[in-house]
Amino acid sequence: MPTPLELIKKKRAEAVSRIIGKGYLSTKRVYVGMATCEIAAGSKDVMEVFQKAVSRGLTDVYLSQKGCAGRCNLEPTVEVIEAGKSPVKYGKVDKDRAQQIIERHLKNGEIIKEWVID
Amino acid sequence: MTATPYRIIVCDGTSCINKGSRKLTAILREQLDKHGLADRTTIGLSGCLGMCDKGPIMVVNPGYTIYGRLTEADIPEIVEEHLVNNRPVARLVIQEDHLYNRFFRVFGDAKFFGKQMRVTLRNCGIIDPENIDDYLSLRGYEALAKAITEMTPDQVVAEIEKSGLRGRGGAGFPTGRKWRLTANEKATPKYVICNADEGDPGAFMDRSAIEGDPHTIVEGMAIGGYAIGAERGVVYIRAEYPLAIKRIEKAIADARAHGLLGKNILGSNFSFDIEIRLGAGAFVCGEETALIHSIEGARGMPRPRPPYPAAVGLFGKPTLINNVETWANVPVVILDGANWFRTVGTETSKGTKVFALAGKVVNTGLIEVPMGTTLREIIYDVGGGIPFGKRFKAVQTGGPSGGCLPEQYLDTPIDYESLTKAGSIMGSGGMIVIDEDSCMVDVARFFLEFTQDESCGKCTPCREGTKRMLEILVRITEGKGKPGDIENLERLGNMIKKSALCGLGQSAPNPVLSTIKNFREEYEEHIRDKKCRAKACKCLVSYEIGDKCIGCGACKRVCPVGAISGSPKTKHTIDQDKCVRCGLCFNTCKFEAIAKV
Repeated sequence: MPTPLELIKKKRAEAVSRIIGKGYLSTKRVYVGMATCEIAAGSKDVMEVFQKAVSRGLTDVYLSQKGCAGRCNLEPTVEVIEAGKSPVKYGKVDKDRAQQIIERHLKNGEIIKEWVID
Repeated sequence: MTATPYRIIVCDGTSCINKGSRKLTAILREQLDKHGLADRTTIGLSGCLGMCDKGPIMVVNPGYTIYGRLTEADIPEIVEEHLVNNRPVARLVIQEDHLYNRFFRVFGDAKFFGKQMRVTLRNCGIIDPENIDDYLSLRGYEALAKAITEMTPDQVVAEIEKSGLRGRGGAGFPTGRKWRLTANEKATPKYVICNADEGDPGAFMDRSAIEGDPHTIVEGMAIGGYAIGAERGVVYIRAEYPLAIKRIEKAIADARAHGLLGKNILGSNFSFDIEIRLGAGAFVCGEETALIHSIEGARGMPRPRPPYPAAVGLFGKPTLINNVETWANVPVVILDGANWFRTVGTETSKGTKVFALAGKVVNTGLIEVPMGTTLREIIYDVGGGIPFGKRFKAVQTGGPSGGCLPEQYLDTPIDYESLTKAGSIMGSGGMIVIDEDSCMVDVARFFLEFTQDESCGKCTPCREGTKRMLEILVRITEGKGKPGDIENLERLGNMIKKSALCGLGQSAPNPVLSTIKNFREEYEEHIRDKKCRAKACKCLVSYEIGDKCIGCGACKRVCPVGAISGSPKTKHTIDQDKCVRCGLCFNTCKFEAIAKV
């Protein structure tokens, strides 16, 4: 009989496998802020833009949501994390900016400096 | 087990390179080729990971397993065991996989986070709160498993006691003592409650914590249940937080599905489950005895203590009740250890504190700083200072139960004692920055209006006393203040503080008393000169048209009472007797010809 501690470590390994199975190792991970405050600022629309893009064949992207990172005045926020690069955090993202992040950053690798939160 | 693909990060900082990290990378590539893993594993190089003394460093993701002090001989073992068999090599894992400060790998480079330290918000903004796998992958529920496997309930309580953790709901009662008292009670069944009835105006710490990382609360409560011998827990959360409710409900359901809640958790003898009770949003229900009444189905009113809930709580049974933030600290104390926890903070207040930074500050937001950080650091370094070049006037901490601290207190290090000494309180973590455009009498009136409104009415000092205080304050802001008003406010306030039944009443006069103490001259100006220096009290300002007026007539057209007169292209005038001081003309004038005096 494994101990609870052994069991939880197994669960952790399984969880990791499942996350990988969902495409965590895609080259770009995109996190959209989805706390109440972010949603109030319009992040649901932003999420939809990304979801649509993924369903229409945007590949190599692992799309996920996240809770509040504390940047209330800059919401909605979107983070793009690429292997081997510093994470890029975009602030005040609306539908239009989301679309541009997809076109310019995710597809063409351009970091859109003027929207980046420092 | 089939091999799962991983993303491996090798530290490529100078120190690690000197210790041979590049050679390790080459060996790693060879080994991946050998096992046919090359196309399913990515290797990334990172800048210095800040663990130079333990280099060379390698991180395996997902899972964030950190290996340190690696030698060339270790690589084949890691590939074989971890990457092929999915069993991290415990011998090589360095103890740097703390729960705290995980955000550094995501946000570490941002200025906003420079002075912050994330313990309770460690996963907020990093994981998908609706996916238990995300939480599990970051050592989720490991603290619970550790407690059940390696610690007796008594040891868990002892660890919490040793940590020096204090209640984050506001009063700062030592959490360990509370746990000990409840654990010592003989009556059964016992209960565990999470107080998520956050009600301070401008505060959103608990909501964000639950929305961002609900499993932490579930895990913390389960550990609390194990420690005191309870099998049932209740999350009391206000109905105004639908998303937080949805997420914690999902977290509880997912935890049950994984055998992390319910009967015989993780195959042990310990059983524990959690249910949710919704509050209708009464401020007084954040008071523990009122909250318990509300769960029982009675009217949410406090009762005198003692007996404390530790002895006579929910349904008359011993009950352990802690705030959301306190619960979120529990897994960290268990996993990273009380000894580590004690290293953060001040002599009397250990750990970190979450604040909802709001008001006249550039970076409004949710922040977490170590105890002992000064107000100045929070407002200017984390918060980025006051916008539009305005002057700082005061900072209000502790919500409607707290006080306003002026500039001379900016270097106060934040802990329970020093804030109390300065005349405010820690409270649950609301922090509102006030600039020169706000009138302190008006601020006091606002907070008192709130507590007056939320008074449950059970005890006279709170019900009647705050009402009378509010009447006086309203009079003062309307320019009808009388000599003696300030003294009356002080007398009433101190009386209410001493005689009210619960924390709501006892602290309700704080905003008034602290503003009188620190900004007495503003009160005096209102009463004696009928002047509001911040020009915020409507009845004490008047509008005048100056020489810049070109007679365009815009103000005349918007004035709802016809108080403005003047022929076109000549300077207009305002009839002060007719003027209702709505400010429409002031906002309409394009030539800055109208002045507030």
